[in-house]
Amino acid sequence: MKTLLNAVLVLAAIAGATHAHAQQGHLNVTTIVQKEEVVVDENGQQSTRLVAAAKVVPGDQVVYTVTFANVSDEAADNIVITNPLPAEMTYVEGSAFGPGAEIEFSADGGKSFAAREKLTVPDEQGGQRQARAEDYTHIRWVMREQVRAGSQGVAQFRARLN
Amino acid sequence: MTRTDCKPSWLRTGAALLLGTAIVAARPALADGTPAGTAIDNTAVVSFELGGTTITQSSNTVTLTVDERLDVAIVAQSPQVLVAPGETDRSLLFTVTNTGNGSEVFTFLMDSSLPGDDFNPTPAVPAIYFDTDGSGDFSGGDVAYTPGGNDPLLAPDESVNVLVVNDMPGGFPNGSTGLSQLTVTAATGSGAAGDNFPGQGDGGVDAVVGASGAAASASGEYVIADVQVTVQKSVAVLDPFGGNEPVPGATLTYSVTVEVTNGGTATNAAVRDAVPASTTFVPGSIELNAVALSDATDGDAGELDTSGAPTVVVRLGDLTQAAGIQTVTFQVTIN
Repeated sequence: MKTLLNAVLVLAAIAGATHAHAQQGHLNVTTIVQKEEVVVDENGQQSTRLVAAAKVVPGDQVVYTVTFANVSDEAADNIVITNPLPAEMTYVEGSAFGPGAEIEFSADGGKSFAAREKLTVPDEQGGQRQARAEDYTHIRWVMREQVRAGSQGVAQFRARLN
Repeated sequence: MTRTDCKPSWLRTGAALLLGTAIVAARPALADGTPAGTAIDNTAVVSFELGGTTITQSSNTVTLTVDERLDVAIVAQSPQVLVAPGETDRSLLFTVTNTGNGSEVFTFLMDSSLPGDDFNPTPAVPAIYFDTDGSGDFSGGDVAYTPGGNDPLLAPDESVNVLVVNDMPGGFPNGSTGLSQLTVTAATGSGAAGDNFPGQGDGGVDAVVGASGAAASASGEYVIADVQVTVQKSVAVLDPFGGNEPVPGATLTYSVTVEVTNGGTATNAAVRDAVPASTTFVPGSIELNAVALSDATDGDAGELDTSGAPTVVVRLGDLTQAAGIQTVTFQVTIN
């Protein structure tokens, strides 16, 4: 749980984005979307930072970040965060991030999920092949441990606009 | 007997005569792009158990709006055109494609005063036309482009064929080159990738300059070739029964004539004609001006080149009008 909290602190630092209203309930769940911006300092040094994204053009990469905070007074068990991949977007290989979570993908509209290397889709010859980033329709994060009252977690991935 | 007449063709001095050459149009790049104005929503769902009860909760929805990316590509479909000195209204064909993700108006500019060539073609007035009749060449039915008047509106991935028309100067020797260029620019704006034109995209989204800079240029080259060569090919059929039916066993006698019809010299002219599929070359049948040539590669002017697909090759040397019509014949049988 300590690692999870650390990750959330890191995330809070990069999430200077439009803070949309979280749904009220036992968990506060918030999604933000950001994109990278290149900044050049006085010395000409280039660096990138994440800024809130509202507009994109084809080819742009964005970062979706889901944060959840357990605002109830009990521990939450079996937490699963599911995020559909927008139809116009392609998942960026290797970008899914979630401390303390098993990350799984779906290529059938969220009906079934499997780890990246175990997910298959029908191929052209009537067999099966390993699913690729462009096949993914959903990503989910299955938390290995419970989240105590007052604790938080995070799930993140990148996608590119087709 | 059938007779197929080829149109007279301009040939660059020193070039070999190639029979049956296909011209394949280059393919423009296609856009891949979510249409401008698309709204992309995303909502995460979290399920969990609290005190033994399963609860499902949605996050807020974040929305991205797809801006218009301004991009364009241009391909010279006729990178090199052979011309005679003093010829007028010779055209170069370009294909312009909207590679952005929105509908966009494009404007054209042409320039025939480019560095790196031997002469400047003289732009016709007007000099830019749409290839309205689809002939690939400037002709009477083509509509002139008027800047600000009929700038084309292209949907994403849509293309338009555009002709640049020039007159050739006189007095330049064979092989001299003259370049002419067509530039296309997105009407909304162009510049560095990432430049933003707020609210000027489709449906009021922002328009953002893409990797092409929202402008593109291509040039074509006129090459002076003051020798005009006419090539004609015909075939006579003799079947095994004394008739003229192209049946198996029939003998086909091909005849290729080459003639210089003006004052120039076609240096190192040669006929190369592949033996047609489903036929067999008749050994010893090659003749040049009714004189037999051996099939072997030896001292005479012709042979059957079998290094690739069997091809009859006859070298005509430096041809002028004074040499008259050169006639190459050979025979094959239908398998």
